[in-house]
Amino acid sequence: MSTKGASLKGLLLVALLVSHMLLTKEGVTSMPICPNGSGNCQLSLEELFDRAVKLSHYIHFLSSEMFNEFDERYAQGRGFIAKAVNSCHTASLTTPEDKEQAQQIHHEDLLNLILGVLRSWNDPLIHLASEVQRIKEAPETILWKAVEIEEQNKRLLEGMEKIVGRVQSGDVENDIYTLWEGLPSLQLADEDSRLFAFYNLLHCLRRDSHKIDNYLKVLKCRLIHDNNC
Amino acid sequence: DLLQWPQISKCRSPEMETFSCFWTAGNFYNLTVPRILQLLYKKSNEEDWKECPDYITSGQNSCYFNASYTSVWTPYCVQLASRNEVYDKKCFSVDEIVLPDPPVHLNWTLLNTSQTGIHGDIQVRWDPPPTADVRKGWITLEYELQYKEVNETKWKELKPRLSTVVPLYSLKTARDYEIRIRSRQRTSEKFGEFSEILYVSFSQIGIGCDHCTDEVEFPWFFVVVFGVCGLAVTVISIMLSKQPRLKMLIFPPVPVPKIKGIDPDLLKKGKLDEVNSILACHDYKMQLYSDDLWVEFIELDIEDPDEKNRASDTDRLLSEEHLKSHSCLGAKDDDSGRASCCEPDIPETDFSASDTCDATSDSEQFKKATEKEEDLLCLDRQYNDESLPSLANTDLQRWHRNTQSENSPLWAPFGDSVESPHPSVHTQISNQNSLASTDFYAQVSDITPAGRVVLSPGQKSKLGRAQREGCTEQNFTMDNTYFCEADVKKCIAVTTHEENEPHVQDQGYNEDGYFTTESLTTTVANLGASTAAPPSSEMPVADYTSIHIVQSPQGLVLNATALPVPDKEFNVSCGYVSTDQLNKIMP
Repeated sequence: MSTKGASLKGLLLVALLVSHMLLTKEGVTSMPICPNGSGNCQLSLEELFDRAVKLSHYIHFLSSEMFNEFDERYAQGRGFIAKAVNSCHTASLTTPEDKEQAQQIHHEDLLNLILGVLRSWNDPLIHLASEVQRIKEAPETILWKAVEIEEQNKRLLEGMEKIVGRVQSGDVENDIYTLWEGLPSLQLADEDSRLFAFYNLLHCLRRDSHKIDNYLKVLKCRLIHDNNC
Repeated sequence: DLLQWPQISKCRSPEMETFSCFWTAGNFYNLTVPRILQLLYKKSNEEDWKECPDYITSGQNSCYFNASYTSVWTPYCVQLASRNEVYDKKCFSVDEIVLPDPPVHLNWTLLNTSQTGIHGDIQVRWDPPPTADVRKGWITLEYELQYKEVNETKWKELKPRLSTVVPLYSLKTARDYEIRIRSRQRTSEKFGEFSEILYVSFSQIGIGCDHCTDEVEFPWFFVVVFGVCGLAVTVISIMLSKQPRLKMLIFPPVPVPKIKGIDPDLLKKGKLDEVNSILACHDYKMQLYSDDLWVEFIELDIEDPDEKNRASDTDRLLSEEHLKSHSCLGAKDDDSGRASCCEPDIPETDFSASDTCDATSDSEQFKKATEKEEDLLCLDRQYNDESLPSLANTDLQRWHRNTQSENSPLWAPFGDSVESPHPSVHTQISNQNSLASTDFYAQVSDITPAGRVVLSPGQKSKLGRAQREGCTEQNFTMDNTYFCEADVKKCIAVTTHEENEPHVQDQGYNEDGYFTTESLTTTVANLGASTAAPPSSEMPVADYTSIHIVQSPQGLVLNATALPVPDKEFNVSCGYVSTDQLNKIMP
């Protein structure tokens, strides 16, 4: 009986999907990959940038909240802030540090930098999502946010690769990347050290997500709105 | 005074391109020269502390870092020191301390006014703070607008939004308003300072309202009225739902065609004899079932020929009108105002006139005690407020009284309540309780409120009573309908079998309240057998005997159709006696 019902449901679902596809004439939700230079894509660059900015803003918002929650719950009284002249693993990447530099850098380089930073965070985010669950009595909100950030980061990476594919002429150089080696520090036996490692990681995440959000907005205003947002 | 150390109060960046730090000097009176306090800073990747590049631009006790000194996402540490003593230290990065300047150039325009002119909509616009480079996207600001009437104290807030244009709806044109706006970086939580206040006055642009005193205030009157009505409706509905009596009062039940005391199933199943007996005297009303006030009854007018169009046997039973009417004789009529049969003032002469058989002697006998005797078929309507068993009790008691008063062994009606106070029952009766064929006649002694018919449990009880009470007298005054010869004989030998009474009481009350005459007759037959000189009890009793005549309030003379041959000894189980037999038996 149950299998019959399940198969029936499956059939219904397939029918709905097919009809939806036929009626809306759109495929599945993911954006189609546009071949270089061809204008046959369905999404404009403006639309792509809009989505990218939205995603980056969302990621930064989640990171900020997650850091605040962690700070409130675990970092009080431990003097983390005093020690937090931390260096993030992405510090080796030379990114613009002020408006002048951001305006002077070429947009392709900036896009590549953004891609590099995003790729560098892919690995740490995966481990963050898994390791944060091992923190004693970790609040559900932190756990959920870690997972969500990791997912959204992947989506942003895909979107950025599309944008880069559209904007870039020539081959994409994808060697901008820094390796993250902070996993052992997240797995330290000593709880204090472990929590400090988390604190640093979250602090770096908040900062880098803000950087990427800012860069994307600058690029958007520059490329789409001609410096007149 | 408490000694207050010099403290760094805050560090702030208005546009993410420069930043400033401010401190308080404390009440250090030893420091005569203000600039002894130094602010040192250090970037995270540096080793040395450097001194503040600009102590002036941001005002007193401040340090201003211009764009060349500012790296946005780089961690800084600053410390307040004098000579060798460090008073305070702070570490931050510039993106964390962004607090934008207030917006500028606030102005408003009128969108439209309401038809009455009392309310108006306006649109407020402003420019972002000039220091924030919004155009290049370096910083994204969101704005919060607050407004209030001039004489109010509390500001109303709008949700933070990105746009620099906001409509305000439904402002009162008679009042003046104040508006202020502040901004913050989109991903931050803290707002910057408020802008200057914008004054909105409709009269300035010539939109007054001539009749602004006609402002519609909150319609308290309607609110109160509707609230009270709603509450009343709720209360009434609650009351109605919980109090059936009240509900009956307000919504009296519509009389449904229903014959009291008759279970509709009776009619369906064709138990017409019981139905007939009930129908014969249908004026037992609410006195009997006082707890069932709201069951309406419809009186049957049996005189009405239309009502005879029923089943055939019903017609047969009901064909003789005067039988019915006579069957109700003797019943006391309080005041019920029924217009049917059971009239107390039927002259006795009617009996004799209607008798077809040798009724004269019978009529004389039956003339007596018209008022006192309970009628056979009718329930005594003197019974008020009594439940079923008690009804039978009173019935029986009355009967006893009657018997005692008249000194005659009255033959109890064939059916009597089980719960009679003086039943004399025999063990044999217990064996005989069975709901046999419904064609038997049995006297209905009572009718339950449910409509079931309660037949008298047996002549046995009456028999015993007869034996106990008036058995010594031999005169049978024939006030009652039937009697058994056996009982007559037993009157001499009074045997009380009172110890057996409870049996019948328990078992006599059948599920349906029925006693078939068969059962009763057989018990009586057995009774006859157990006592002295039992007559032969093999005589079968007729299942069905039609009513020959009704001679008295309690008299029913049955036809002799099925009765045994007169030449046999009259021993019968006691149901019915034909007139012939009666005459034979009686002296």
